[in-house]
Amino acid sequence: MTIVKKILPYLIAVLASFVAAGIFIALMGFDVFRAYSTILFTSFRTPNGFIQTLLKFIPLVLQALAFTIPLTAGKFNIGGEGQMIVGAIGATAAGIMFANLPPILLIPIVILAGVLTGAIWGFIPAYLLYKFKINEILTTVLLNFVSFALIDYVATGPWRDPTAGHPTTITIGSNGFLPLLINNPPLHTGLLLAIAVAAGIYIYTSRTTGGYELIATGANPQAAGIYGIKVRRMFVFSLVLAGAVAGLSGALEVAGVQHRLIEGMQSNFLVLGLIIGLISRGNNLAVPFVAFFIAVLEVGASAMQRTLMIPVQMVFIVEALILLFVLLSDVVASRRKS
Amino acid sequence: MDILVNFLRLVLLSMVPFVLAGQGTMLGGRTGVFNVAQEGIMLVGASLGFLVSYMTGSIFLGMVAAMASGALFGLALAYFTTNLKMDQFVIGLALFFIGIGLSTLLPKLVIGITLSPPLIPTLKDISIPLLSQIPVIGPIFFQQNILVYVSILVSIGLWYFLFRTQKGLEIRAVGEHPMTADSLGINTTSSRYWTTIVGGALIGLAGAYLPMVYTGTFTELMVMGRGWLAIALTFFGGWSPLPILFGSLFFSGVEVLAFRVQVIGSIVPYQFLIMLPYIATILVMIFTFGKSRVPSFLGKNYDREKRSV
Repeated sequence: MTIVKKILPYLIAVLASFVAAGIFIALMGFDVFRAYSTILFTSFRTPNGFIQTLLKFIPLVLQALAFTIPLTAGKFNIGGEGQMIVGAIGATAAGIMFANLPPILLIPIVILAGVLTGAIWGFIPAYLLYKFKINEILTTVLLNFVSFALIDYVATGPWRDPTAGHPTTITIGSNGFLPLLINNPPLHTGLLLAIAVAAGIYIYTSRTTGGYELIATGANPQAAGIYGIKVRRMFVFSLVLAGAVAGLSGALEVAGVQHRLIEGMQSNFLVLGLIIGLISRGNNLAVPFVAFFIAVLEVGASAMQRTLMIPVQMVFIVEALILLFVLLSDVVASRRKS
Repeated sequence: MDILVNFLRLVLLSMVPFVLAGQGTMLGGRTGVFNVAQEGIMLVGASLGFLVSYMTGSIFLGMVAAMASGALFGLALAYFTTNLKMDQFVIGLALFFIGIGLSTLLPKLVIGITLSPPLIPTLKDISIPLLSQIPVIGPIFFQQNILVYVSILVSIGLWYFLFRTQKGLEIRAVGEHPMTADSLGINTTSSRYWTTIVGGALIGLAGAYLPMVYTGTFTELMVMGRGWLAIALTFFGGWSPLPILFGSLFFSGVEVLAFRVQVIGSIVPYQFLIMLPYIATILVMIFTFGKSRVPSFLGKNYDREKRSV
């Protein structure tokens, strides 16, 4: 009963945004029914569709966690995109420089390089917040734009692949490629890592003392400080951990999917990650499920653009509307209470 | 000398998006509504401003459309925060997302995909008679496009309104202590609404400036963080119109400098010049944040039915 009550507002929000966007789609002269059946069922019709969905799910869940972890402590990380890019740069650099190492060494080195560089990128706003009390929202956002220039520099630098038209590096050593779970179409083992990280973050925030301190910090920093929690250190820790998780998403894209650095590979994972995190309302248990749902919509959106010529951005607006309606359901709920 | 004059001319030309978006942010913030959807609103302004100019052939109608769309976003923000008391930052992010989506969707639906980008004529310079003949000062200040003049006049107008009129005092009171303002009979709700709506319109116009002056066409995500930089500018300028106007010169100065050095060519790879405005802003924040004066009710929602705020 309670679970139904909890999920009901979400279902209504999804339905409402589908109706709202559906009216728009119909007015544009497209077939609404076919559009929605493509969006919702492409992931489940073919094995390829399902694997594409899982491949989208990996960066999305990690990006969402990079947002929700600091949110638990009351801080906003809008820099997951930059942390992912820098993590991808770190992973690529390691994969090219140590290309000759055996897989048992190279794979962990590539992943760790991504995690570490992402964490460093997350540490910059954390330090500015700790030392100078500079609001983390703007610094994390602005560092995204710095990372755009940085990836362009690396992808057009000495490692540039001269045969590619778009700024791209040469591939990392093949010993650094993640092993595959399924060969055709390829699905890499990063999926297991992403699920493990999501589970680990959930357990950490809901079942451990450290996680409790994080929640206490977010709920009331002053009270937490009085009870001896080092609030400002919690802020730093949460932002660095978020950077590490976002960096991991970059490393997995390199080691698992692209095997190289490509400018623009971060796609729009940041904004989708924020949407997932906000729809989940920062609940780390809900994040993987919402992320999977958004991955389904995203895969459906590409199929819809291919077959029905409806631009993918239509689905992006649907996702933003879902968020808006979920937020509105809070207002409705609080009014009914009072 | 010519190089310097040209540089300063470009600085003034490039300050416009920062000035308009900064003043728009400031105006809403003065009643406590902290808009963080600038980046999205500017994208919609750029997209719609370009599209309407392209379809109708009138740049003026394009500007009107950009301002109307910005005003609509402001209205939504005002409603969700003032009436529904939703978290300003979260709802701002949601509007930012919708802005990104709409700005790329609209051109695809209206124009479709073309091989060469559709172009609109960019804004022409207007020379002010006599004044534009003054050496050095003339070309810098008096041979600019109309929005350069408009942005300066808007800034001065807002300063006069906020600090020299009764109504402006009331607006500032709403942003400092709405309960007191309310008890004095000031309509806090309508104040928050109209400042946020007008502020949104200014931000929308700031976005339209980019295709209308720089590129002649709309490209995806062309705002490139200027919306976020405008927020930093507003803090930098202490939420006051004139400091924001002068502060914008720093932001556009760095932007123009980075661009000029790229064109001339330097030993520093161009990517590091592209980073410059963002890094400079972060450095500026280190020295000015915390010291700057902020409306005390900024970012909060006022509930008239509660006993205290």
